[in-house]
Amino acid sequence: MQLKVPEHQVAGHIAKDGKPGPLVDDKGRFFKPLQGDSRGENEVKFYESFSTNTEVPDHIRRFFPVYHGTQAVEGSDGATMIVLENLLADYSKPSVMDVKMGSRTWYPEASEEYVQKCLKKDTGTTTVSAGFRISGFEVYDHKESSFWKPERKLLRGLKVDGARLTLRKFVSSNSLSDMGSKPDSAFVSSVYGGSNGVLTQLLELKTWFENQTLYHFNSCSILMVYENESILKGNDGDARPQVKLVDFAHVMDGNGVIDHNFLGGLCSFINFIRDILQSPDESAES
Amino acid sequence: MLKVPEHQVAGHIASDGKLGPLVDDQGRFFKPLQGDSRGEHEAKFYESFTSNKMVPDHIHRYFPVYHGTQLVEASDGSGKLLHLVLDDVVSGYSNPSVMDVKIGSRTWYPDVSEGYFKKCIKKDRETTTVSLGFRVSGFKIFDHQESSFWRAEKKLVLGYNADGARLALRKFVSSNSPADSNSTPPNCAFASEVYGGPNGILVQLLELKEWFETQTLYHFNSCSILMTYENESILMKGGDDDVQAARAQVKLVDFAHVLDGSGVIDHNFLGGLCSFIKFIKDILQSVDKRDETETSPLENGN
Repeated sequence: MQLKVPEHQVAGHIAKDGKPGPLVDDKGRFFKPLQGDSRGENEVKFYESFSTNTEVPDHIRRFFPVYHGTQAVEGSDGATMIVLENLLADYSKPSVMDVKMGSRTWYPEASEEYVQKCLKKDTGTTTVSAGFRISGFEVYDHKESSFWKPERKLLRGLKVDGARLTLRKFVSSNSLSDMGSKPDSAFVSSVYGGSNGVLTQLLELKTWFENQTLYHFNSCSILMVYENESILKGNDGDARPQVKLVDFAHVMDGNGVIDHNFLGGLCSFINFIRDILQSPDESAES
Repeated sequence: MLKVPEHQVAGHIASDGKLGPLVDDQGRFFKPLQGDSRGEHEAKFYESFTSNKMVPDHIHRYFPVYHGTQLVEASDGSGKLLHLVLDDVVSGYSNPSVMDVKIGSRTWYPDVSEGYFKKCIKKDRETTTVSLGFRVSGFKIFDHQESSFWRAEKKLVLGYNADGARLALRKFVSSNSPADSNSTPPNCAFASEVYGGPNGILVQLLELKEWFETQTLYHFNSCSILMTYENESILMKGGDDDVQAARAQVKLVDFAHVLDGSGVIDHNFLGGLCSFIKFIKDILQSVDKRDETETSPLENGN
């Protein structure tokens, strides 16, 4: 089995300095190394619970990666890997964005050290102000005919207007790396809009979050993906936009309470997407 | 003649020579503008809100009516002080049960002082604010068995965990004595009339929720929802009249920390509001279920 480094990972840990990062095979599977200090275990625990939880409605499962158990993988020092569906397997030229949901990434059960670390990051980013922050993205620039991925520093420094601009850039075709140029929002309808677009999918998730008390998705991200290949071939309508929830290392039991932290952030994110759909030419809110 | 309000459940209370709000006999509520800028800030909010054309008409009913400011003799005897003049939201009730619930999973907000931030976050973590997205600040209910009001102790209320908050919300609509609830669970006798129905608390909260999903005008930091209902008519039980007679009401109060929305929805308030709505819904569902199982033996001709 040939394993290689994923091409389009935008956030989270990558293979560095001998420490394992995620890998993919040619059969549509994604191998995520179990992180130390119980986070990996917690993520496995979540996937095991979620995949067999009969209280999760069928139509909500599509928003989660399919879980294929754990496996010890050669070439990673026998380290255990979580085996998941490779969300990008069916895309040839995917634009991808990772958005961390919630106005706080810490949670009551976390250690004091972790709480302080998270608080600092949350207050310095749009997490506190907007209820979400853009963790990373890679977008296909149709004018340059290449992928563009911003520096991590750029993302960390984003404020509300910058986040809004970035969300517009994600669905634009022009000079994306030039932060001064106005994005053309060329694909806003085929990606964010439509009966199968990002907005429709987010609204479906929102309805579930208004009632589900099963899990609290602390520090989870929403991954947005769409296909550029079909757009290049002149078929905008086949962008196949997709919303997925990822990164479950900090998920806790809901204990009869809804995940109001995730829900608040999700509603805010929905409003940003809606604003862009309604006024694709505005580069700032009215 | 101004006097101390009877039904205040949270915030500063004007008793024993302390500075606090006062009411007159014309249904007006006088809230002193305190030394720091909070009072001015609240007045500014009311001024902005009252004339803001972007606030839909049906949303105004959830806010106290503002009548400007007035110099009034302060309750602590310190002389004439500027006060906010509002409609007293409980003046139309003769025996109101009242509950103040602070909404949001955080009461602090960006750009506050380090000291204020530390104070807020400590309280948020010690109460249900962080875990539930809201906390009960105070409440008083009419004890139908004792024919008198029962006020929850502040210490008790601030020490609530999720179960405590749930219990308080059930007590709020119960007719059995709140004092001995440790042995007897609250009976939720008025849950349907107060929380439910076409004009009940739940319907009003859902209307507010819809507005919060898109309004980017204000961020209601540290604001409370005040729930009120009339006991007088429930005392004189008379069938369908109960629903109208309870006159359950939701009002937003305390705007000392409101900020401009700046194009972003008030996701902090909205998340907490949704959580609060779920708690109310759960109580209504458990009451419906109980009522169903109780009536079926009767239907079987027992």
